[in-house]
Amino acid sequence: MNKFSYVIKNTILNMRRTPLLVFATIIAVLVSSFLVFTTLSARSIVQNNTVRWQNGTHVVIFLDDRVTTTAHKQLQQSLETYPEIRTVEYFTKSEAEEEFKILFKDQPELLSEVDYEKLPSSLRVNLNDPSDYELIIERMDGNPAVKEIRTSGEAIERLLSLTNTLVISASTFALLIGFAAFILIINTLRLAAYSKKKEIKIMRLVGASSTYIRLPFIFEAVFESLIGTSIAVGLGWGIIEYSKNSIVAESIFDITISDSYLIYLTLVLLLSSIIFGLFASFVGIRKVLND
Amino acid sequence: MIKLDNVSLVFQGGSVALSNISTTINEGEFVYLVGHSGSGKSSFLKLLYKEYISTKGSIEVAGLDVVQLPRWKTPLLRRKLGIVTQEPQLLEKRNTYENIAFALEVMGTSNDEIESKTNTLLDLVELNENAFKYPDQLSGGEQTRVSIARSLANNPVVLLCDEPTGNLDPELSIQIVSLLEKINRAGTTVVMATHDSSIVNRRKKRVIELANGKIARDESEGSYILR
Repeated sequence: MNKFSYVIKNTILNMRRTPLLVFATIIAVLVSSFLVFTTLSARSIVQNNTVRWQNGTHVVIFLDDRVTTTAHKQLQQSLETYPEIRTVEYFTKSEAEEEFKILFKDQPELLSEVDYEKLPSSLRVNLNDPSDYELIIERMDGNPAVKEIRTSGEAIERLLSLTNTLVISASTFALLIGFAAFILIINTLRLAAYSKKKEIKIMRLVGASSTYIRLPFIFEAVFESLIGTSIAVGLGWGIIEYSKNSIVAESIFDITISDSYLIYLTLVLLLSSIIFGLFASFVGIRKVLND
Repeated sequence: MIKLDNVSLVFQGGSVALSNISTTINEGEFVYLVGHSGSGKSSFLKLLYKEYISTKGSIEVAGLDVVQLPRWKTPLLRRKLGIVTQEPQLLEKRNTYENIAFALEVMGTSNDEIESKTNTLLDLVELNENAFKYPDQLSGGEQTRVSIARSLANNPVVLLCDEPTGNLDPELSIQIVSLLEKINRAGTTVVMATHDSSIVNRRKKRVIELANGKIARDESEGSYILR
């Protein structure tokens, strides 16, 4: 019997001794890895969407129609001189009406009730740096041609803030479950090591190396960790593929995430799970084997 | 083969197990290590296979400096030794054959070699007929013989036996000692710790007596009677 087959045989034997614990460990690793995978993917999707939105209109300045069109044009010209502003587009009342009809084409009742005369003309501003929207609000303050100002920056900031909160919450939760998985692996290995205490003692007496004695335990920890993570990553990929064709994707978000990012995330998670297994096995059997 | 120079062993808490031990055991010798319980016999043996680390002095076993040997190299030392403990330490779920083969398995020996060596060892300890019996189906003497066979699996140059006859009646003890002498005649150095005076008196071999962690006597073959 060569050394490798001995190690594999004993890894399987160890796992068969405590099947429920092994199952619980794999589930804990799975949940933890799944949370990490999905939250990081979700953050990437939100970032992709916000970047897309940020490339559009950042500030809409609704104009007071009691003021002359000339005053509107003067305001546009003065805005165009600001270094923070990339473009300013004048949107007339009729253009606003057309846009409204396109946006709410599925709601004929609403379209029939709206008084289009009340739709104001506006200036659509695109900024070099979307975070400068507050500067524009400040400068427009008190201008008689301005009726109201709305910015996408606030919405984007709120969305990013919400996403970050979600990522932090999910990561904390993943960390807690990851820690539970860590404890489970340690316990599984210790139980296996204690049940093989005599065997280990004999191995040490006949001169088997410490690494060789440890290998079945290391393999077990890495295997459990890798299986849990692999299933989690598989589920994550499946959910993303499903979401791409879902109602959510059609209505709010564009579920776009690059394959290269997903592959990168998968590799990082798999590598992390190997390191996680190695570390757990090191901690789990260190004391038992030193006794 | 074995050389101890001014070796002391003090446990944490200050209790002295061995104090200034100096002795040499040559290749091919058979040495009885005698003394009362707590005299330091087991500690002496454990120092030789680096289960304990001496507080002072130098120890050389089979050409290796045991004290200076890094911990990770301890397996290299143990591969040169056969170690037999008072409790045979057999694996209950393995039969006689498998218990002996285990020592070869864990060293990565090929299946063919395991089979041939295990059969040779079963012959040597005269347990062929019990090859497929489990430990609980064997007598105390037979279990000890399995333990000895297992310790010989990797061709050790030194066999260290810590009271292998401690749990056996006189007749079985003599059988075990005869077996160890047979192994010794084949060239293996044997150091056997025992407090069984009848064995020591009858076998007329070199005896090292320990008392309170010191060598009380070291007498050559046949000249020593245990009190």
